[in-house]
Amino acid sequence: MKRYCYLVPILFVIAFGGCRKDYEAPLPYTFINSSGSGRFSPAVRQALEGVYVVSDGSTQFGSEVVLKWSYLLEGTDSTHYLSVFTGLDAAYFNLEGSAQTDSLVLNGYWRKLVNADIGLARLVVQAKHNGRLQAFSGNLPAGDTLVIKGLYGAGKNTPSLPLTLQYRRPLNKKPFNIMAHRSGGRTADLLPASENSVAIIKLASRLGATGVEMDVRYTKDGVPVLYHDNTLNLRLIEKSGLTGSLESYTYKQLSALVRLINGEQIPTLEEALEAVVYNTGLKFVWLDTKYVGPMDPIQAIQQKYLQKARQAGRDLNIVIGLPTTDALDSYKALKNKANTPILCELDTAITRNLNAGIWAPRWTLGPQTDEVLAMKAQGRTVYVWTLDEPTFIEEFINQNKFDGILSNYSPVVAFYHYTEQ
Amino acid sequence: MNVRLPIINWLVVLLLLSLSASAQQVRRARRIVPDSIDTKKDTRRGPYTIVASAGSGLSYYSTHVLIPDALEQSHLSRFGVPASFRLMWHPDHRLRIGLESGWVPMYSYRGQITGEPARVNISVIPVLVVFSMPLAWLSGTERSVARRMAVTVGSGYYLNQSRLRYAGDVIGSKNSLGWMAAGSYTHPIGRRFRVAGELKWYDAVSAENAAFTAEVQLVWRAFSW
Repeated sequence: MKRYCYLVPILFVIAFGGCRKDYEAPLPYTFINSSGSGRFSPAVRQALEGVYVVSDGSTQFGSEVVLKWSYLLEGTDSTHYLSVFTGLDAAYFNLEGSAQTDSLVLNGYWRKLVNADIGLARLVVQAKHNGRLQAFSGNLPAGDTLVIKGLYGAGKNTPSLPLTLQYRRPLNKKPFNIMAHRSGGRTADLLPASENSVAIIKLASRLGATGVEMDVRYTKDGVPVLYHDNTLNLRLIEKSGLTGSLESYTYKQLSALVRLINGEQIPTLEEALEAVVYNTGLKFVWLDTKYVGPMDPIQAIQQKYLQKARQAGRDLNIVIGLPTTDALDSYKALKNKANTPILCELDTAITRNLNAGIWAPRWTLGPQTDEVLAMKAQGRTVYVWTLDEPTFIEEFINQNKFDGILSNYSPVVAFYHYTEQ
Repeated sequence: MNVRLPIINWLVVLLLLSLSASAQQVRRARRIVPDSIDTKKDTRRGPYTIVASAGSGLSYYSTHVLIPDALEQSHLSRFGVPASFRLMWHPDHRLRIGLESGWVPMYSYRGQITGEPARVNISVIPVLVVFSMPLAWLSGTERSVARRMAVTVGSGYYLNQSRLRYAGDVIGSKNSLGWMAAGSYTHPIGRRFRVAGELKWYDAVSAENAAFTAEVQLVWRAFSW
């Protein structure tokens, strides 16, 4: 009995005195987002893309990294960003060119998705000529090599740790779809924008994505919006006190009183697709059916934005995902199925019966080599979801059978895809 | 980190249940002592009592609140009038066990959104397994003040409810694990009735709702045997 006298207060202190730790990764860098590319002309940008060997900084970011440009559109203006995807801890860099220097300077931040590590980075692009580093003007004579040198740091501290990247080879050019889950990435991964927000859609390309998967639900008054969970909860939204299912609130109520975890509004599907078409270079949108109900309004929006994309000269495919038999029934109930690209997550027989252009099995079912090859032989595209484990991402990419991977860690998929030889 | 608190809460519940069981065992062991060895000791168990209590008072929401920016002329109220009832088994040792439920208003806010009135009320319904122990376990005697003071802890489920009145009326709910801790003083006013004052902390952990309450309770010793 005596030992309990000591145990009880100790357990109470642990249980009730122990604070729940809040994990945060606040952005240490504010992007200037100036339109155009400054000194980073198209030729410079093209030359910079590639696979680089890491000398200084390899313990933090691995021995190889991928450099890839992406852009954001605002009207006729475009803003360019350089991303660095690493093979270690799902780390990536987001950088922008500095317009205030004579040399090619990149400023931004780095982040590791497997933890809350984040920090500033400042890099300079140079060319190695006869063993000596010199300024790079965009013209790289044969025998010269691009070297990116600079510093990185932790948090908001001034960068002080050396990072050196040396160009090794061009990126793997094989067509492959890198699809980011939840419109770009999960809120749980402490990204600077909330999942299923317009802001994360605009960020998706900088995280390596070439496409996004969006979670579509209906509000009480039938407005299609993006939201993943069944209920309003503190994992996804700021504390407002409101609870219960999203479907029990009207769009007017949600737009007035509910904000996503980083302060954004829950976007309508139309707002999200508007951003995809007019602000990004994304090539693929997967509308995940989280609702139970008629598919007609989603089909109408899908067709409207496919048309807008064509008018804007965009190479964009928007597909409706069929993850369940309920979604399948909703699809079958559509009066007209023309111009309605679909993606079937169910078995191969159903996919064939529907004549779906895309089959997307879950990755836990394994490589399914025979089925994948059979579906591809019939002219179908095959994606796998939702694959986050780097070892399996590498394995699935190296097997060269799938046409794309849906992942919460698009920087990891980008790294393994672009470095594949 | 997030799973640690519920696990430890349940560990505490199990530990207290084990304490309760072992207290019974001690008495049982004493009971089987042969009469020839200890003939003068009273080996009868009891008394056991079922005690029901109900109370009300004032609650104060004690954690952070975020009022949506869209709300103009907003007004926040952290106070409310809670109601609770509890059914306890008072055995012949000091660790008591029971169930508690009730209704605890957490907070409410109101204001205007583009000229339209809006109001949100948040409340919880706790359903808790509670353990209580008079302080006399430490130092008191049957007539001491400490005997009338007790600490109570509980763990279990909270049903978190929200009610929105803006462009319609929406009631939503969410389950959450949580705990409760309280200190009370009970004063006898009759053979079967007592009046108690209790200070209590309710914490619905995953919903991040927590309130401090001060209640006056009527305690009824319903059955004894």
